[in-house]
Amino acid sequence: MWWRRWSVDDSKRLIMNEQLNLYGKNFNSRLLVGTALYPSPAIMRESVEASGAEIITLSLRRQSPEQQQGKMIWDYIRESGCQLLPNTAGCRTPREVIALAEMSREIFQTDWLKLEVIGDDYNLQPDPYGLIEAARELVKRGFKVLPYCTDDLVVCRRLLDVGCEVLMPWGAPIGTGQGLLNKYNLQTLRERLPDVPLIIDAGIGAPSQAAEAMEMGFDAVLLNTAIAKAQNPVVMAQSFRLAVEAGRSAHAAGLMVKRQTASPSTPTLDMPFWQQSSSKALQD
Amino acid sequence: MPVTSEIKPSVAIAGGGLIGRLLAWRLSLQQFDVTLYEAGDLSTPGGACWAAAGMISPLSELVHSEAEIYRLGVQSLALWPSWAEQLEQQSGRQVQFRHAGSLLVAHAQDKSELLQFQRELQGKLNDDISAHVQALDGEQLRQLEPALENFEQGLYLRDEGDINNRRLLPVLLSVLRQQDVALRERTPVSCSGYQVEHQEGRVRFDCVIDCRGLGAQQQIQGLRGVRGEVLVVQTREVELQRPVRLLHPRYKLYAVPRPDGRTVIGATEIESEDMSPISVRSTMELSSALYSLHPAFAEARIVETRVHCRPATMDNMPYIHSEPGLVRVNGLHRHGYLLAPALAEKVEKLVTKQVLQVA
Repeated sequence: MWWRRWSVDDSKRLIMNEQLNLYGKNFNSRLLVGTALYPSPAIMRESVEASGAEIITLSLRRQSPEQQQGKMIWDYIRESGCQLLPNTAGCRTPREVIALAEMSREIFQTDWLKLEVIGDDYNLQPDPYGLIEAARELVKRGFKVLPYCTDDLVVCRRLLDVGCEVLMPWGAPIGTGQGLLNKYNLQTLRERLPDVPLIIDAGIGAPSQAAEAMEMGFDAVLLNTAIAKAQNPVVMAQSFRLAVEAGRSAHAAGLMVKRQTASPSTPTLDMPFWQQSSSKALQD
Repeated sequence: MPVTSEIKPSVAIAGGGLIGRLLAWRLSLQQFDVTLYEAGDLSTPGGACWAAAGMISPLSELVHSEAEIYRLGVQSLALWPSWAEQLEQQSGRQVQFRHAGSLLVAHAQDKSELLQFQRELQGKLNDDISAHVQALDGEQLRQLEPALENFEQGLYLRDEGDINNRRLLPVLLSVLRQQDVALRERTPVSCSGYQVEHQEGRVRFDCVIDCRGLGAQQQIQGLRGVRGEVLVVQTREVELQRPVRLLHPRYKLYAVPRPDGRTVIGATEIESEDMSPISVRSTMELSSALYSLHPAFAEARIVETRVHCRPATMDNMPYIHSEPGLVRVNGLHRHGYLLAPALAEKVEKLVTKQVLQVA
């Protein structure tokens, strides 16, 4: 039968084959998660597993990395076997970022870096100027830079110009759970930068918002607070995994185009079709 | 079963922090022959218990932890009043246990934090929270705490309490002296079944209790330190009656009033075993959060800073392990004063059972 050709198994394979490629490395999961704010390290690790994430971010700004005083927890995170993505959370200037990046590279033996340069302390908004400056220097030093940026097309282009191969625009400010606040800008980014891996980073509060980002064609989603602060982080991690998969396969399947009016998908049989459009008016 | 005075069973306690002192006190009351070992000085304890603020807040902590912490906390909260009274009678000095509840406040722009707190509490408690939590408007808030002029909403957790740890720990020490507990200071030890080992050799006991905190890291897999930083400020301008927590999207701040116009402000929670002095960033975070609690705190004097690492397991739950001749208790994390009495009772039972079985 015709529909057999498009069974769930086929479509699953279709999507599974299409891996996420970042800096030449392939990943099956399109959900990246953070490792902060969990009730305990044990719950963090269980949540990471449940999320299916293969890339996890971690911060070492405040843990006196030069003395390796956080070694115990870093080793615990490392045991997950995921690609580590050290971040520069808490840095405000390119100089701070570069010092921390070098330290991260040494400690975690990876040149992957989530670049954060904070421009405002209250909403932790990225500083686009500092970001571009830091990215340029980090790329020169051989880092694989994944910048956390705003949804501004020009800023994103400049980041690509200085050598970033992946961009991570925000959905909303960090930790707010507001979802995709400026869909117009995000849609613009997706359309204008069709070949650049775009990861929605920050602001995702609910699985539906993650699914929405994936439906819009973004390549992946990065989040932390929404899982870590859930009443049951492990179950929430699983929910996000399912949402990201659903959103991705929905995007691949091709969403229907929204219509202007609600219309029954089969004609109402007892009414001539030329009267159906006015039937609602008659009922009123 | 009473233990007769002729054959006093011997118990060694390693670690003179809060739980070690409480156990030494409880067990010596039961006529055990108790020896307390401490790597540092007992009169100026270096442990997390000395750096802490002494809050006993099962509900506020429940939001960040497992239901078991709450259950143990409620048990402890039931024990503290009589234990405090008993210690005050024995020593003739006050330990300042206060059962005046605690307040949670948030600024108008962060008021969703209060809602989130209530929701989390509801989810964890699986019970009607209105019996424990009272939502307050600005006026009701100021009836309890006149100083909180800048807040229009808050939550009152009337069951919670706190204890002045800087009074309690010396009082415990003096009571231990009264009860002829053998005190071995500046004596780092290692513990195994029936045996304590230190520089001068091995000593046998009927039972050994290891409560050395991070000192036991080699013996307890996955035990880690979580750095905490605390400020103590002093001012006559702001007077609080009870612990106040400020809810903020990123910073956790509590302010615990102590005598002489002092307020203990805490605490950071950093995944690091770094014991170096408080950082500038943490000082700024704590003091700006404090300033937002009341602007008059700006002229308070920072009279002390405290840094220590809390001993914690990977699931942040307390650790009790028992084998013949040895009980280990550890991992009280940020819940020392909240959990210690309940855990001390548990350990007391384990030890009594062990020693009686041997006898």
